[in-house]
Parts: sequence; structure tokens; C-alpha cells
Amino acid sequence: MHKLGRGHRDKLQQFITITGASEKIALQALKASDWHLEGAFDFFYNQPQLKTFTDSRHLEELYNRYKDAYVDMILADGITVLCNDIQVDPQDIVMLVLSWHMKAGTMCEFSKKEFIEGLQSLGIDSLDKFREKIPYMRSELKDEQKFREIYNFAFGWAKEKGQKSLALDTAIGMWQLLFAEKQWPLVDHWCQFLQARHNKAISRDTWSQLLEFAKTVGSNLSDYDAEGAWPYLIDEFVEYLNENGIIQNGLINDSSLKW
Amino acid sequence: MSMSERKTIDLDQGWDFMQKGILKLKNILEGLPEPQFSSEDYMMLYTTIYNMCTQKPPHDYSQQLYDKYRESFEEYIVSTVLPSLREKHDEFMLRELVKRWANHKIMVRWLSRFFHYLDRYFIARRSLPPLNEVGLTCFRDLVYKELNGKVRDAVISLIDQEREGEQIDRALLKNVLDIFVEIGMGQMDHYENDFEAAMLKDTSAYYSRKASNWILEDSCPDYMLKAEECLKREKDRVAHYLHSSSEPKLLEKVQHELLSVYANQLLEKEHSGCHALLRDDKVEDLSRMFRLFSKIPRGLDPVSSIFKQHVTAEGMALVKLAEDAVSTKKAEKKDIVGLQEQVFVRKVIELHDKYLAYVNDCFQNHTLFHKALKEAFEIFCNKGVAGSSSAELLATFCDNILKKGGSEKLSDEAIEETLEKVVKLLAYISDKDLFAEFYRKKLARRLLFDKSANDDHERSILTKLKQQCGGQFTSKMEGMVTDLTLAKENQTSFEEYLTNNPNADPGIDLTVTVLTTGFWPSYKSFDLNLPAEMVRCVEVFKEFYQTKTKHRKLTWIYSLGTCNISGKFDPKTVELIVTTYQASALLLFNSSDRLSYSEIMTQLNLSDDDVIRLLHSLSCAKYKILNKEPNTKTISSTDYFEFNSKFTDKMRRIKIPLPPVDEKKKVIEDVDKDRRYAIDASIVRIMKSRKVLSYQQLVMECVEQLGRMFKPDVKAIKKRIEDLISRDYLERDKDNANLFRYLA
Repeated sequence: MHKLGRGHRDKLQQFITITGASEKIALQALKASDWHLEGAFDFFYNQPQLKTFTDSRHLEELYNRYKDAYVDMILADGITVLCNDIQVDPQDIVMLVLSWHMKAGTMCEFSKKEFIEGLQSLGIDSLDKFREKIPYMRSELKDEQKFREIYNFAFGWAKEKGQKSLALDTAIGMWQLLFAEKQWPLVDHWCQFLQARHNKAISRDTWSQLLEFAKTVGSNLSDYDAEGAWPYLIDEFVEYLNENGIIQNGLINDSSLKW
Repeated sequence: MSMSERKTIDLDQGWDFMQKGILKLKNILEGLPEPQFSSEDYMMLYTTIYNMCTQKPPHDYSQQLYDKYRESFEEYIVSTVLPSLREKHDEFMLRELVKRWANHKIMVRWLSRFFHYLDRYFIARRSLPPLNEVGLTCFRDLVYKELNGKVRDAVISLIDQEREGEQIDRALLKNVLDIFVEIGMGQMDHYENDFEAAMLKDTSAYYSRKASNWILEDSCPDYMLKAEECLKREKDRVAHYLHSSSEPKLLEKVQHELLSVYANQLLEKEHSGCHALLRDDKVEDLSRMFRLFSKIPRGLDPVSSIFKQHVTAEGMALVKLAEDAVSTKKAEKKDIVGLQEQVFVRKVIELHDKYLAYVNDCFQNHTLFHKALKEAFEIFCNKGVAGSSSAELLATFCDNILKKGGSEKLSDEAIEETLEKVVKLLAYISDKDLFAEFYRKKLARRLLFDKSANDDHERSILTKLKQQCGGQFTSKMEGMVTDLTLAKENQTSFEEYLTNNPNADPGIDLTVTVLTTGFWPSYKSFDLNLPAEMVRCVEVFKEFYQTKTKHRKLTWIYSLGTCNISGKFDPKTVELIVTTYQASALLLFNSSDRLSYSEIMTQLNLSDDDVIRLLHSLSCAKYKILNKEPNTKTISSTDYFEFNSKFTDKMRRIKIPLPPVDEKKKVIEDVDKDRRYAIDASIVRIMKSRKVLSYQQLVMECVEQLGRMFKPDVKAIKKRIEDLISRDYLERDKDNANLFRYLA
């Protein structure tokens, strides 16, 4: 065992806790970034994933454990069993991250190809490895670029097959789930606005631009450009905020805001 | 005696002789009794100079004589001229100066002739200033330089006296100012620097004082009269005694002090300013205002701005007047464009005539005023009245003029003139596409129901609209008019066909109007169950039409049809003019005495709305051809109907109208839909050629492309962009959300 100073040991432990990486990999990342945690995260996430060998037979066994009795797919019931096995709530956002890894086309469904190739890309071929990987997948939400990818993936994943837009209720649920990770202070107002004023499905463009809006404009709306290329619905939202006194002089004026 | 024996003249001796001649000249100039130079005197003086210049050195005295020439002037000026000027002041000084200058020029002329030999040889050889110039320079350096300030002040003082209405000696001033010019010897610098600059400054001060009083005391028209008079007088001044080069500078000063400085105060005078003049139609004063303010930099901007405000206010007053008139008419149906709105259009036309005349006459066709007029009319002409847009009002106004029995009784010439003016007003309306749609709707009604009063007028207005808005704007309308012409020919052919084919017998008189889809407004074409008599007609016409065109499909629009029916009532037979729908309903009672609402609906195969409207017109309105149980004012689905054999009317021929359907909403919806298509097409067209474009640029080009027909709302464009993104025509750039890419 290397002799590590207490500071370094604490950082190592912190990194392992957040990323779920092995001690060896964590040590490598921290050394490469001269023991700066933020740098270590960047290093870790930017590394091409080491393709760990996975046992095909074990993957087949996993798939067969969860697949539907009549259709060569894993459906809602199978996913429920899977969640039990890996000790994750089906509503947990980490299931979205998992679906993103699997490139799942639709919510509550995994094709065999999606399931097996997804687990391979994660280096998982057993339930133990699956459980070990959960913290890693959860930590991916903290990476800005990956969050954006997952966020935009969520649109296609959550919408009804054959539809172009995302049903409003589903969209609201997804936003509440996703922005719980990002702490966008206006998310509740946005959802209320949609139910009060819009009450229609959400287009992909509006969906993806809302993330940019949340990131770019944040809680200071004084620099919002109503003549810019923001989607119409976001223009309406800003108008709604101003009309209802939620925003005054570009700043949030909501005493009920939870920080 | 030979030449070699000519006696040599020494300098003193020769100069003494010359002195006598010069003294003689001075005496003449001073007005002393002195005989004129004889030619002999002149020759002797000239010869003396000649001899003294041509003697052998050291007796050649050219240089000395040249110096003596200058000294002669200097001595005379110092000893005689300056004392006489210094002792005098103001106007007397000016007179003396003029005299002295005149005398000086005479002296220069005579001495130059005496000393002429110097000019020809000595001066030419040595490149010295010529005698004439030397003489004038003496006066400039000794007299002018000392006195020009006093002279300037005296002149300016006289000018100001003249401005106050006093009589002055203009010739004197002209002569004095000529000195300033002549002193310059071809250059204007002495005039400009020593006189003009101070004169201009004094002029500014003078008119500044005047203006500061007049602006307080005078009304705007009086002030302008004074200003115009002052400008005229200053022009006179230039013509009489100032140098012509001073005119633009002088007028500019006056204009600045009288107009530029007080422009706003003058124009905005409460009871007599620009607004008041416009309100009171003071055409002459407004013309003067234009003439005056057009001379100062940006002077017309505030005038045209006030003009625009005034015209806008007048227009808005008309809008309000019409709104008020409409709201007091309680009985008027809201969805029908009424008389008050027509009066509104007439008044707008009159307003336009009036203020266009102002622009052309008072304001001399200046572009600023054309622009002001245009912008003013654009403001209130897009307001609409009582829920009807201006586009609709204009279309209705045209309809009223063009249809038979319209409320207007105009001569052919007056109709043409009025239509011309309406088309001019259309230029101010943003929603030209809305006008086109309403116009088409009403044109269709005029054409199909034979309500058009005059074919030539119909074509004439289309020509005017085409010139104003382009061929695409009128192509459908022209198609409609052409269809009617073709329909007449077609009907003639049909009648020939019937004559030549005894087996083809519709059984009743039949006229069919064939229309081209796309030209005409869209109509409902319900699958009405026709009575047997009419089915026969349709079949016969179809057979005829097949003989002419094998591949065209006929769609029958019964809602546009009319029928003449003989109603055999107990008191007497009455001829009924009804729609095809009404006729179909009535014919049901030839074989049934009593029918329920649902039976009628089923047998006719119409919707509830249509049946209710239909039956109401036959049983609840003015002419009760049918009796209704129960006997109420409205139709319900539980009602029963039977033929009213007791019906009668004093007329033998009556028209039973159907209540009109509110088409306004449909027209507006149609136009909105067309606009969405137009915006989509515009965006796709732009992006197809540009491939990549920023949002701002795309919106700008879109508005520019569509502006001729309607003014797209930026929000509407934004919505269309998003829809096109959804439909995969466009996408946002991955890295820049403001950038759009075209997807092939």
C-alpha cells in the first residue's frame, strides 16, 4: 500500500465515492491532475473508456433473466425485476442514464441488442458489476457535456412511438427529474406556465433549447433577448414571468423559491 | 539741327517741369480754376519722361522717375486726401471717400499716360509692378488701410437704417462697396474680410434682436410674413449695392436667425402655429411656411412631422367618429358592414384628396411630405372600425359601388375616379391579402348572382389593382371575370346542344355556370339530395359537358344555386325566387303534407346548421310558406312543418332570402392559413438559396419578401421556423443556436 498523506487519501476516497471508479483508476486520474479533484474528474471523463472484457455467456444469461416471455425484448415487468436486482428505484434518474448507454429507442423497453451492447460498453456482465457501476452512472450527470447528451436523449426516449412531440405531462415529469440534478430555479414556474398557458405537446427544438436557456440565462433574465432565436414558447414564458411579478428588473422576486 | 545736338536734361530740371504738370492735375482734381491739359501740354510732359529715360548714362533717370511716380501719389494723399477724409464722419466721410477714390483713379490714369514710357520698357524689362497697380496700391496702403474700419461701420450703420425703413443713398453705398472690390484688384479678399464678415455678423445680431421680439409679439403667419419680407429685402439689397457673391451668405444668416433659431417656437405657437394652420386650412400660410423652411437645413423635418401628426389625428378622429356612430346603432347587426363604415371610407377618401392636394400644392410635391402622408395614412388606415378591418371595409366599399342597386348613385366617370382613389388607399393597408380575399368573395357574389352593374368597371378596377399590387394579386380575380364570360358562351353551346338533341331534355329551364377551381373562393359542396326534377337536369348537363371535355370533373355547388318556383296557394299562384336548398325543401311537400324536422334533414342530407337556417327562412321569417308546429320563432329538432296553402302576398313575384352567413371569420381564417403557407414558402425559399443563415437575417429577409402583401408578425415567423424544424426542413446549428441550416 502506498503511503498517502491524509489530504491525498481523503481526495482519493472522495473521487472513488463520486465516480465509482476503482482505486487504481482513481489514483491514476488524481496523479495526472496533480491531485486537483476537478481536474481529475475531467481527466477521468475524457479518457476513452477502457473496454473491459465481458463474458458473452453471462450477458445472455442476464438478458434471458429479464426478457419477456413472449417477445424477444425486455419490457416494463422485466425492467422492474432488473431494478430490484440492482437495488434501484425504477423512477430513479440513473435508469435514464442506463437507457442512454443502451441507446434505448423507447422508454420501458430494451431490445436484446440494446441491452447486451449497452452492458458491454459499460463493462458489465454480472449483477455485482452492475451494482458497482451505479455510482459511476449517477456521477455522469455531473458532467456538463454528458448531461446535455442525456437530456437530449431523454426527449426521443420518453416520447410516444411515431409521434414527433413529447406529451406535456411526460415532458413535465422529465424536466422535474432532470432539473433536480441541475438546480434550475425556474423549473417549477416553467411547469406551471406550461400547464396554464400552453397545454400542448413539446417540440424537440423547444426541449433542447430550454436546456440552453436554463444554462445561459439562468436566474438573471435582464439579458434575455426577446428578439433572439429562442423558441416562441420561451419568449412567452419570460413574458409570463414578468407579468406575474416573478421576475422584476431581470431578477427573481419569488419568496417561495427554495434554494 | 541734328539729333546729336539734343540738350541733356538733368533730373532736377526735368522733374521741376513734371511737377508743374502734376500740380495742374491736382488743381483740376481739387476743383480749382485751372485750364484743361492741352494736347501740347500732354505731349511735352510725355516727351520729357521719354527724354529723361533715354539719355545716356549717367543721365538715364528711369529708376528715379519710377520712384518719383509713387512719391507723387503719396505726397498728394498725405497732404490733401487724408486730411479731407479725417475731418469727416459717417455718411459725409463716405461721400468724400467715393469722391477721392474717383479722383484717385483719374490721377492714376493721367499720370500713367505721362509716365507711359516706363510701363513699355523699364517696368517690362525689370518685371516691376505696373504704374496702374502702383497707383492703386498707394491709395490702398495709405487711405484704405486707415479708414476701411470706419467706412465699414458707416456702411453697416446705413444698412441698418434702411432695414428700419429709412431712406438711404443706395448709389452711395454701391460706390463705397465697389471700392472694397476694386481695392482687391481682381480678388475678393478685401471685400470679404474687411466688409462682408462684419456685415454678416451685424446682420445676425440685427435679426436676432428682431426675431426675439417678433416671436413673442406675432402670430406664426405674421412672423412668417415678416420673415419672407425681410428675405426679399435682403435680396433687394444685394441687387442694389452689395456684391452678388454675398447673397447666399446673407440669406443664410437671415434664415438662421429668423427661422432656424426659432423654428420650434414658431411652428408650435399655440394658436397660430403649424397645427393651427393645418386645422384651419390656411393654405397660403402653409405654402409660405414650406417656402421658408425649405431654405434652412433640415427645416422641413419638423413641418412634415407636424403634418404627419395632424393627418394622423384627423384620420383617427374619423375612426372614432365611425366607431361612435356604429355603437349608437343598436339595431344594426354586428356582423354586417353597415352604412356608417361606408361613410367612413368615403371620408377617408376625401381626407386623402385634401391632404394629397396639400402635398402637391402647398408642399410642392416634396418627398418628405409624401412620406409623412403615407405614414399617417398607414397608421389609421390599418385600425379598422367596429371589428371590421380596413381591408374588409375597402372591399365592401368597392362592392357597394360596383353592384346593382348599391347605395351610391354615381356617374360612370365618378365611379372610375372613386375606384382609382380606393386603389390608392390600398397602398397604405398592410393586409393587402385580406383585402384580396374579401374582394374576391364579394366579386364572386356579384358575378354569380348577376349583381354586377357594369362589366367595364369590374375589369377597370382589376387593371388598377394590377398596376398597384402586381399581376399575382389580381390573377384569380381576372380568372373569375373570364370564367363568367366563358360561362355565357358555354350556356349558348348548351342551348344549341339541347336544340340539336331532342332526347336531352332537362324538363325545366336550366342555366349552369362552370367555374374554375382555384380562381373562386372555396365553397361547401354538400351532397344535397336533389329532387328528381333536378337530378334530371344535372344528368343532362353532364352529358353535354362530356361532349366538350372528356377529362374534367364537375363538382356541383348547390349552395350557390337559385330557382324560380310557382307556388300554387289557395288565394292565388305566387312565383317564388329561392335558393336551390330552399327549393329542394319545398318540393318535398309536393308529395308529403306534413314532415318532421328530422325527416327533412334526412331526405335532404344536410347538416343541422343548414337545415335550421333553411327552415327558419321558410317558416319564421317574413314569408311563411311553411307552417311550423309549435308556432315559435326558432327552429328546434322536434318541430313539424306543413305547406301553408293559405299564404298570399300582394306581389305576384317574391324573393325569399336566406339569412346571410357570417363569412368574415372564415375569410380571416383562410387568410391566416394562407399566410402560414406564405411564410413557410418564404422561409424555405430563403434557406434553400442560403443554406446557412442567422435567425435575425432570416426574419429580416422573410419580412422583406412578404411585406408587399402583409406585414408578418415576428412571432408568427418564429412559430413557422419551429414548425419547419419539426418537419425536418431546418435544423439549428449544433454550436450556435442562432444559426439555421437548410436540410435538403
